[in-house]
Amino acid sequence: MERVSVGYGRHVVLSDIDLTLERGAFIGLIGANGSGKSTLLRTILGLVPALSGRMEFLTNGGKGPVLGFVPQRESLDPAFLVSGLEVVLMGTCGYVPPGRFFRGADKEWARHCLAQVGAFDLASRRFSELSGGQKQRILIARALATKPDFLLLDEPTTGIDAATTRSILEVLGRLHEQQGLAILMVNHDIGAMRASVREVIWIHEGRLLRGPAADLLKREKIEEILGPSLN
Amino acid sequence: MYISLLVGFVVPLVGVYLVLRRVVFLGVALPQVSSCGIAFAFALQGWGWIPHAHDSAQERAIALAGSIVFTIGTILVLSVLERRGRGLIEGRTGLVYVMAGAWSILLLVKNPFGQHGMLELLRGEIIAVSTVDLLLTGGTFLPVVAGLVLFQKEFLLVSYDRDMAVSLKKHVMFWDSLLFAFIGLTISVSVMSVGPLVAFGFLLLPPLIAYQFARNTAQFLWLSSVIGGMAAVAGFAVAYAQDLPVGPTDLALLGILYVVTFLGRKGVELYRERRMRAATGA
Repeated sequence: MERVSVGYGRHVVLSDIDLTLERGAFIGLIGANGSGKSTLLRTILGLVPALSGRMEFLTNGGKGPVLGFVPQRESLDPAFLVSGLEVVLMGTCGYVPPGRFFRGADKEWARHCLAQVGAFDLASRRFSELSGGQKQRILIARALATKPDFLLLDEPTTGIDAATTRSILEVLGRLHEQQGLAILMVNHDIGAMRASVREVIWIHEGRLLRGPAADLLKREKIEEILGPSLN
Repeated sequence: MYISLLVGFVVPLVGVYLVLRRVVFLGVALPQVSSCGIAFAFALQGWGWIPHAHDSAQERAIALAGSIVFTIGTILVLSVLERRGRGLIEGRTGLVYVMAGAWSILLLVKNPFGQHGMLELLRGEIIAVSTVDLLLTGGTFLPVVAGLVLFQKEFLLVSYDRDMAVSLKKHVMFWDSLLFAFIGLTISVSVMSVGPLVAFGFLLLPPLIAYQFARNTAQFLWLSSVIGGMAAVAGFAVAYAQDLPVGPTDLALLGILYVVTFLGRKGVELYRERRMRAATGA
């Protein structure tokens, strides 16, 4: 992203951002409420058009990258009667052409993705009846089913208990380590970020601060950024 | 009988999407809009803007054209506004319903020729349907069903998670428009065949009954369709035996089925809960 401004209509949330996301990165995106984390994520995904500047995706094949998106689970309407497997199969819609039914191989791939996040037994359960942590696993499996170059997660651990948060972060860490999957995760939980991500982008007062998680999430550094407000 | 079956099996398939997308009120408004389109087509003949139809088939073709243009036009405009998140969807749908109803009356009030045709539609008298209607309905429903089956995964994706669809580079507006065109086409033809009340009943009631039992979207779709089809058969038999109008009889049966299944399901849930409490000693 080069000198990109993001926002909605005339409301600019972040202006003149320069940002590069490298293949194989594991980045946490943090910031206060309303700082523009989700807007930035949605702009990268193409859900919100950039207000100005230049965005470019450089990939090996010349084609745009596949972005596996894990939305906030509350954004999905519980009225839909979709099973865990159906939700994951939605991830394959990027390469299963319109008019073609899901084949055995597609379902097998979806089950494989479920197994990768430890949710194989949730395939036939109704999505709306699952717990927050279970839903999150299914949504990560759905993003994996897209065969992504990048995994983008919007607050995946919000409203989830500590043990489940830990296990979800372990799943992400494993995917990053074993498959070299690039991950960009929006999160409020600094403790969780410190334990999982390699790098942090901190949106503070309209600026992007970037550095290794071990440095940027040190208590002294946090105090330096936030100043007296920390106390 | 055949038209009743067709409507019973096919209309609930599009009703499923209205229920899932929480736009059930559209199911009331669109048949009304469709009726308004028919009234407009009759009015055009009354005003002499288009030549009077020479036979029943021609008359129905003109009425169907009015119905389709009004219904699909309205549903596409409403879907665009819904996606852009402008205004209150319930308010807009209510406005459309009221306006369509008012204009239907105004267009027909000085047009006795149109009044007669509309009265037949409002009664939902399925027995009086002609072979031409049957062919027209079947010929329209066939591509609609084929489209709903073939593109089920696309329709489900754009209905359930628009953001995901965009991130997968799906043309959301196209798929939304196609789905709403299928819904509009089905409603237009159904209103022509069985009237607005019966069309709305088949849009809503079978999916509401199926919703209680289905575990996934595929089950929801076929269960809704089967319930609609079975109700159409049973309704026809009861109406034939008791000399009643078929459409309203179908709906009455579906209403009874909904109440029975709802109470039955609640009773089973209550029984299971009590057994569980007894087992845990709570």
